[in-house]
Amino acid sequence: MAEQSHFVCIGCPIGCPLQLTHEGKEIIEVSGQECNRGAKYAAQEFTDPRRVLTTTVAVEGGRWERLPVKVSAPLLKTQLFAALAVIHEVVVTAPVEQGQVLVRDILGEAGLHVVATRSMPQQGK
Amino acid sequence: MYDVAIIGGGVVGCAIARQLAHYRVRTVLLEKQAEVAFGTTKTNSGIIHAGHHSTPDTLKGSLVVSGGDAFDRLCEDLHFGFRRIGELVVAQSAEEIPVIEELFSRGRSKGIHDLEMWDAQRLRREEPNLSHHLCAALFAPRAGVVNPYEFAFALIENAVANGVELRVDSPVVAISDGEDGGLCLHLGDGGAGGPMGGRVEARFVLNCAGVYADRIAALAGVQDFEILPRKGEEYMLDKRLKGLVRRLVFPVPTPASKGILIIPTFDGTLMVGPTAFDTDDREDLATTDLGADTVFDFVSQLCPSITRRDTIAEFAGLRAVSSSNDFIIGPTSRRGFINVAGIQSPGLTASPAIATLVCEILRSEGLVLEERGDFTPRVTGPVRFASLDVKEQQRLAAEDLRFGRVVCRCEMVTEGEIHHAIDHGARTLDGVKFRTRAGMGRCQGGFCTVRCMDILAQRLGLRLEEVTKRGSSSWIVVPRRSPAAVTHPSSSPQTLAED
Amino acid sequence: MFGRIEGPYDVVVVGGGPAGLAAALGARESGAERCLILDREPEPGGILNQCIHAGFGLHYFREELTGPEYAERFITKVIDGEIDLAPDTYVSGVSVDSDGTKWVRVLSERFGLKHVRTKAVVLAMGCRERTRGAIRIPGFRPAGVLTAGLAQKMVNMRGYLPGRRVAILGSGDIGLIMARRLTLEGCEVVGVFELMPYSNGLTRNVVQCLDDFGIPLHLSTTVACIHGRERVEGVTVAPVDGHFRAQMAQARTLACDTLLLSIGLIPENELSQSLGLRLDVVTGGPLVSSTLETSMPGLFACGNVLHVHDLVDFVTAESLLAGRFAGEWAQGVRRPADNISLVPGDNVRYCVPHTLSPEREHTIYLRCKEAMKPCRIRVGDLMEKRLRFVVPAEMIMVKIKPDLLARFHGDTLRVDLVPDAGAVED
Repeated sequence: MAEQSHFVCIGCPIGCPLQLTHEGKEIIEVSGQECNRGAKYAAQEFTDPRRVLTTTVAVEGGRWERLPVKVSAPLLKTQLFAALAVIHEVVVTAPVEQGQVLVRDILGEAGLHVVATRSMPQQGK
Repeated sequence: MYDVAIIGGGVVGCAIARQLAHYRVRTVLLEKQAEVAFGTTKTNSGIIHAGHHSTPDTLKGSLVVSGGDAFDRLCEDLHFGFRRIGELVVAQSAEEIPVIEELFSRGRSKGIHDLEMWDAQRLRREEPNLSHHLCAALFAPRAGVVNPYEFAFALIENAVANGVELRVDSPVVAISDGEDGGLCLHLGDGGAGGPMGGRVEARFVLNCAGVYADRIAALAGVQDFEILPRKGEEYMLDKRLKGLVRRLVFPVPTPASKGILIIPTFDGTLMVGPTAFDTDDREDLATTDLGADTVFDFVSQLCPSITRRDTIAEFAGLRAVSSSNDFIIGPTSRRGFINVAGIQSPGLTASPAIATLVCEILRSEGLVLEERGDFTPRVTGPVRFASLDVKEQQRLAAEDLRFGRVVCRCEMVTEGEIHHAIDHGARTLDGVKFRTRAGMGRCQGGFCTVRCMDILAQRLGLRLEEVTKRGSSSWIVVPRRSPAAVTHPSSSPQTLAED
Repeated sequence: MFGRIEGPYDVVVVGGGPAGLAAALGARESGAERCLILDREPEPGGILNQCIHAGFGLHYFREELTGPEYAERFITKVIDGEIDLAPDTYVSGVSVDSDGTKWVRVLSERFGLKHVRTKAVVLAMGCRERTRGAIRIPGFRPAGVLTAGLAQKMVNMRGYLPGRRVAILGSGDIGLIMARRLTLEGCEVVGVFELMPYSNGLTRNVVQCLDDFGIPLHLSTTVACIHGRERVEGVTVAPVDGHFRAQMAQARTLACDTLLLSIGLIPENELSQSLGLRLDVVTGGPLVSSTLETSMPGLFACGNVLHVHDLVDFVTAESLLAGRFAGEWAQGVRRPADNISLVPGDNVRYCVPHTLSPEREHTIYLRCKEAMKPCRIRVGDLMEKRLRFVVPAEMIMVKIKPDLLARFHGDTLRVDLVPDAGAVED
C-alpha cells in the first residue's frame, strides 16, 4: 500500500515541499524538488533522519556554571530525548579542555560521545 | 505603639514621613508593595507645576504654589534631579487665546508674577520645532521636571536616616481599636496573600493609600468618598529626539485633565501623554492601541516631528481622583484617622505643602510636635557616573573599583551605582532600574538584566529565581528541571489553550 | 597578552566577538605590530559564547562547528599572534587629535579610566535586539517579556529558564533556535508567531527547531496584547491583514508565562552616533568606503555593527579585510579616495560598502526587499548573474573584480534585483 510522507527541503532558501511515496520502508519516488538535492534529502530524512545535538551540562568550580557540549556524531531524531536524559545527569569539574570527551559511547552506541565545545578554566583563573 | 502610622509610600506618604522626621515623633510608614513609590508615583509625569491651572478655592489650587516653591531647597538637601525648564500652554487657534489669557490672570492672582504671554513669532523663535499654526502661548518659567520616584526615594531615605521606620510588603487588611486608645492596623502578608503579617498600633493613622484610599477609609469605618481611578498612558521616545522641544508643552486644558503633553523629562528624553481614561479597575495598568493613537494623533499636531515610531517604552498609571475632584485632607469621625486622599494633579507639586498641612492637622488633633535637635536634612545623592566629567570618573574609578565596571552599557551605569542603590533600599530589578537607570536605555535591559540580578541575589542573599522584577509574583527566571522531568513534547501540533 | 593594555597601539579594535577577533588578526597580518582588542565581557567570543548550537563555519572552515568552537579557533590565533586582549573593559568614547592620533577612553575594574593612544580604530561592537517598545505591544508590563537573546544567555550561560510555557514573537533565527533550546530543556513552546507571510529564519531552522518538535509556526500573525500584571499569564494573538493590522475579530488568547521577542537586530551604534559618523539610515550602521573606513579617517567598521549579517563566516571575511586596511592605515598607507558610489536599486534594501574603487576587488553584501524567484542581479551595466531565489533573510554576496570597474567611467553604480525573464510570479 503506497503511503506518502512530507518533508521540506533545507538545501537552499527555496525550501521545496517534498512528497516521498513509499511502501513500508521502500521508497518509490520523491516529487516536488527543483533540484537533485531534494530527492537525496527526502530519502535521508525518511530512512535515517539525524540531528546534531548540543546542550549544556553542569560544571563545578568553573568560570561559568554551564559548559556547552555536543554529541560527537548526529543522532537519530528519535534518540534526542534519551540522549538528553543521559547528558543532563553529567556534572564535570573545571578545568575542562575544548574537545575533551566527557562521556563515551552513550546510548550504548560506540563512537557516540559527549564532547565539550569550549574550554572552561577554573573560576578566578 | 507609634505616634503616627502612614499607610502608603507614594510621594505624599514619603513627604509626610520626612516632615514628621523633623520632630520627636515615633513614625512608621507601611507600604504594601516591595518598594516605595511603586504605585502611582512611579508612573507620574514628573511635572512641578507653576500653579496657574488650578483655582485658589480648591485645596489643589491653594497648595500648589507653596509646594512648588519648596522644590529648590528640597533639591539642594536631597539631591534628586530637578530642573525648572519652563512650561508653555499653547493656543492652537484664535478661539483658544482667551482661555490662556484667563490662565494668565488666574496665575497672577495667585501670586505667580513671572508668567508671560508669547505671540506666534516669539514661540516660533524659542521652540522652532513646534507646529507653525500655534498662535500664542502662556509661558510659565518656574514649571519644572523631576523623576518622581527619585524624589520619593530621596524623601524616604532622609526620613529613615532621621528615625522613621519603613516597612515594605506590608498591606493593611483590617483596622480595629488599639489597646491604648489608638488604632490597630492589621497587616497582610505582602507576598502572596498568605497568613497575617503582624499588627501595628498608632495614635494617629494617615491614609495616604492613593488609589485605595477609599478602601482604607472603609476599613476604618469612615468612608465618605470614593476614588474613581483615571488611567493615563505615557510614551517614552527615543533619545535621538532630545532637544527637539525644550520646555513642557501643554494644550489648552479641559475640565477632565490638563491634556496631552510633550514632556522633556529630567533625563532629557521626551515623553508624551498622558491620556485620561476613567476606569473601574484599580489594577488596570495596560497601555492600549487606542491610548497610543490618542496621544500621537494629538501630539503630532503640536509637534509634527514626533510619531509613534519613536517610542522606546510605554507605561500607564492611575490617578487617584476623588469623588469631590479635590484633595481630601483632614480628620474624620474616627479619632486619630486622618485622610490624605484624592491626591491627583498637582499632587506631586503640592506634596511638600501637603506634608506641612498634615503636620498642622496632627498638631491641632493633639499630637505634640517637638523639634528634634539633630535632624539632618541632607542626603548625599547617588552617583551618576555617566554625568560626571572625565576627571571625576577617573578619580572615582581609581578610588573604588566597582565604579570601573560598567553594567548597563546603554546608560553607562556602573556596578558601584548598583550597589549604592541596594544600600539605599533597592530590592527588586525595577528598584535598581528606577534608582540607577540601568535597563532604561535603548536595549531595555537586554544586556544588563542578568548582571543586575546577580548583584541583587548576592547582596540580598537570594537565589536567582527569587529575584523579582517588582516584588510579589514578578519572578524572572526558574531553575532548570531535573533530567527525569523532561520528556518529548507530543508529536502532534500543539492545540491552542483558551483563556 | 591577555588582560594587558600598554599603548601606544597601531590598531585598537572595539569588541572581541567574531568581528573584532578577525579584525585584529587582519591588522596583524598586514604588518601592524601593536594591536589591542577591547571587550566588555569577562572573556572574548562575543555572542558566539552563548550560541552553543552548531551551524557555524560551514563556509570558512568547511566544518560544522558550534559557536564556542568557532570563537575558540580565533581566540587561539589572537593569543598566538601576540595581540593584546583586554576583557571586562568598556569603551566610553574616542577622541581624535588634529594629527589623526586617536585616544580611546576605556573603563575597567583593573585599570580604572584610561586613555589608550592608537593610530587606527576598528569598530566591531556587534548589534542589539529590538525590544517590546520598538513594536509597541499594548498591555501590562509583567515580568516574563524578554528578547530571545537574553533568554539564550540565561539558559546557556547560567542554566536558568525564562519560564516554562513560552510563546515566541518573531521567526528570526534566534527565536527558532530558542524554541528548540527551551524544548530540549523541558519547556513547552506554545507557538512561534510571525508578522510576515514568510519565516524570517533559515528553512533549516524551521524544520529542525519547530517541525521536529511539533511547535506551530503561525505566519501573518501578531501578538496584540500581553496579559498578566506581575508575571505574564498569556498573550492574545491575532492574524494581520495586508497592512499588518491585527484582525481582532479572529484574535485568540493563549495561556503562557513567557513571551520571547525575536523581532530584529540593530547595529550597536551608540558609539558611532556619538562620534558623529555618517550613518546609513537603512542599516543603522556607518557609511563605509571599499576599505571599510567610515567617514572618520582611520576609523573602520565591520561585522554586525556595520550591517547585520546572517552567517558568521561572512563576518569573519569582512572583518579580516577591515583589519587589514586598518593595519595598513596605521602604517601610513593612504589610498586614493573611492570614486564610485554604490547605490541600492530595484528590490535592493541596502548594499555595503557604500563606495567602490577601480583599484581593488570588492565583496559587496546586499539584501533584497522582497522574495524573488528566480531573479537576476545587475550591477550597473557591468555584471549580471542569475540567482535561483532571494529572500530578505539571506544576505547576498557578490564579488566584483577590479577589471570590471576599470571599464566603468561613471560615478554611480546601481545594484538591482530584477525578475528573471520568463519567470513565473510567486
